Amino acid sequence: MPETKQKKPIIQLVDVYKEYRAGTISTLALKRVNFQIHREQVIAIMGPSGSGKTTLLNMIGLLDRPTKGKIFFDGLDVLRLDDKTLANLRNTKLGFVFQTFNLVNRLSVFENVELPLIPRGIPRGVRAKMVLDAIIKVGGDESWLSKKPNQLSGGQQQRVAIARAIVGKPVVLLADEPTGNLDRASAKVVVKTFLNLNKAGHTVVVVTHDPEVANCMDKIYVIRDGEIIDEYSSNKAESLINKV
Amino acid sequence: MLADFLRLSLKALSERRARAVLTIVGIAIGPLILVMMSSVVGSYSEYIVERITSLGQNAIAIFPTENYRLDAEDLNYIRTFDAVKRAEPFYNTQGIVKRGTEETKVSIFAVDYNLLFEAIGSLEIGEGAIPPETDTLSSIIGRKIAFKDDTRHFSLHDVLTVTVPKIEGGKITGKKTVNVVVSAILEEYGGALIVDPDSTIFMSLEAGRRLLGLDKWSGVLVLADNPANVKPTVSALRQYYEEKVQIIAFSSIAEAISSVTSAITFINFSTSLSAFAVAVAGVAATMITSVMERTREIGVMKAIGYTNFQILLMILLESIMMSLVGATAGISTGVVGAYILSSRGFRIGGIGESGITLQLNPLITPTLIIQTLALTILIGLAGGVLPAYRASKIPPVVALRYE
Ligand SMILES: Nc1ncnc2c1ncn2[C@@H]1O[C@H](COP(=O)(O)OP(=O)(O)OP(=O)(O)O)[C@@H](O)[C@H]1O
Ligand SMILES: [Mg+2]
Repeated sequence: MPETKQKKPIIQLVDVYKEYRAGTISTLALKRVNFQIHREQVIAIMGPSGSGKTTLLNMIGLLDRPTKGKIFFDGLDVLRLDDKTLANLRNTKLGFVFQTFNLVNRLSVFENVELPLIPRGIPRGVRAKMVLDAIIKVGGDESWLSKKPNQLSGGQQQRVAIARAIVGKPVVLLADEPTGNLDRASAKVVVKTFLNLNKAGHTVVVVTHDPEVANCMDKIYVIRDGEIIDEYSSNKAESLINKV
Repeated sequence: MLADFLRLSLKALSERRARAVLTIVGIAIGPLILVMMSSVVGSYSEYIVERITSLGQNAIAIFPTENYRLDAEDLNYIRTFDAVKRAEPFYNTQGIVKRGTEETKVSIFAVDYNLLFEAIGSLEIGEGAIPPETDTLSSIIGRKIAFKDDTRHFSLHDVLTVTVPKIEGGKITGKKTVNVVVSAILEEYGGALIVDPDSTIFMSLEAGRRLLGLDKWSGVLVLADNPANVKPTVSALRQYYEEKVQIIAFSSIAEAISSVTSAITFINFSTSLSAFAVAVAGVAATMITSVMERTREIGVMKAIGYTNFQILLMILLESIMMSLVGATAGISTGVVGAYILSSRGFRIGGIGESGITLQLNPLITPTLIIQTLALTILIGLAGGVLPAYRASKIPPVVALRYE
């Protein structure tokens, strides 16, 4: 790994705590998390259900604020930014792939994918080209564009969701169990897409239960009960997916 | 960018078409009532006020009650007022004119010609000329006496035979006929209220006294020097005469009618406001449901970078679009309704036979349309603002977890 990548993290979490309160019950979902992601890394976050993976991803994705601690995005102190600035950062620098595709079913594939481009004020003609590029990158084709999401298979829908996340050329792509609902073959396509995006210069963070998926990444973080308990470089060579 | 937000809002609306249509119907009722009622009431009141105003803003008519007799002494007293420019007595009765085989009811008005033309400014001679006051055989007749539709019945210098009540000792004892010569024919005056010059025979005061045999003045016609002095003169006269005479100023009739119609307009406006209030509640209910159903979607949009304001705008555009469609539907059915309503006509009574049936087109002004449109758009704003604000404030993580 080149030295420059290590120098300035794109995302840095410092002593981050997150506590959920529902009436008298409180859950400490993140405990003193210290964690950095550098540009052009591709990393996996693993852990059992309820361990705090989604919570962590929400912090990284500037979707939620920590109860305690600091978050830096590209050197900016996130806690000092207002809602509007955060929204603009999410729009221009981040891409999300949700656990449950979260596509809008009344809109066509095209309209779903162009959604993040609208707040940026990108003209229609330019958007059309960007949408098609994104769809092709995830292994889809033009015929998908006019379809409604529910006319596609689960794997195809997840790829549309990925296309929506990458259409704006985000610096960081965040994916929450992107392969959780997919069969092996579809999962492979999705992982390949991530690795290709990483090669193209995107930083990729993938939450996964699947060791095989995790093994395709540069680095794996293990989280349990809201704490990062382990961190190691994966053995990419051993990955089954890479052997295919 | 706004076009894209409009498109997104439109898509959201068209997904729940039935609900949107029902809400729009609810919205449309307010503008419908407002446009229909206001334009009809407006046209009639404008017409009535205009006609009455044309009768002369300076004129005051004084009618004695049954037991009182106006005489030269009264006339002199009335003339002592500084504000009184002229005051002349008049006789007034009804008669019947034979036109071929048909009989027509007419009003007969005997008064100083100059005063008459001064009091009713819009009265004009069509044919002939005003006869001299001393010519007690001549008369000026209304357009509708000389013509029926477009057929001429009487020309200048024709002799008109009029059947009038025969009066002896102040009592009607039978009928008699009198003959008058047509010296002038008036231009058409148009649907009049209170007095109808088109079906009136005007003659000089002296002719009235001689021909009609009236010995008691029907009243005194007074002309004030300017409209501002009408009111004080009327109250001074009322104070002096108390219950002995009735005093009517055309300007105060116009005023009374104006105030009645503005009361009607106000009632109509309040009625439509309650329709508007119901519509606001309807829009709010629709939008709250719609926002709830789309909570997750709103979460996704926020996650991918839509700002709170953009979410607010998108939801608000939905309700505004519904109100725009509702306004268009309501205003256009209101216009149709107004024409249907006013096509039935409306009868207005006058003195004697001078009542007329008015059939006017509704008064649909750009102001009315714009006001109604603005008010209806306000419905969308008012009904949509709370749901839109709430939607814009949901934290994205909460919205994304929403089932
Ligand atoms: N909004 C919330 N309110 C209360 N508790 C919450 C909330 N969100 C998460 N939690 C709790 O925080 C802990 C971490 O949740 P999180 O969703 O981050 O887990 P996860 O690792 O993503 O699990 P999974 O693999 O099942 O998706 C859990 O105990 C969960 O019950
Ligand atoms: Mg999760």
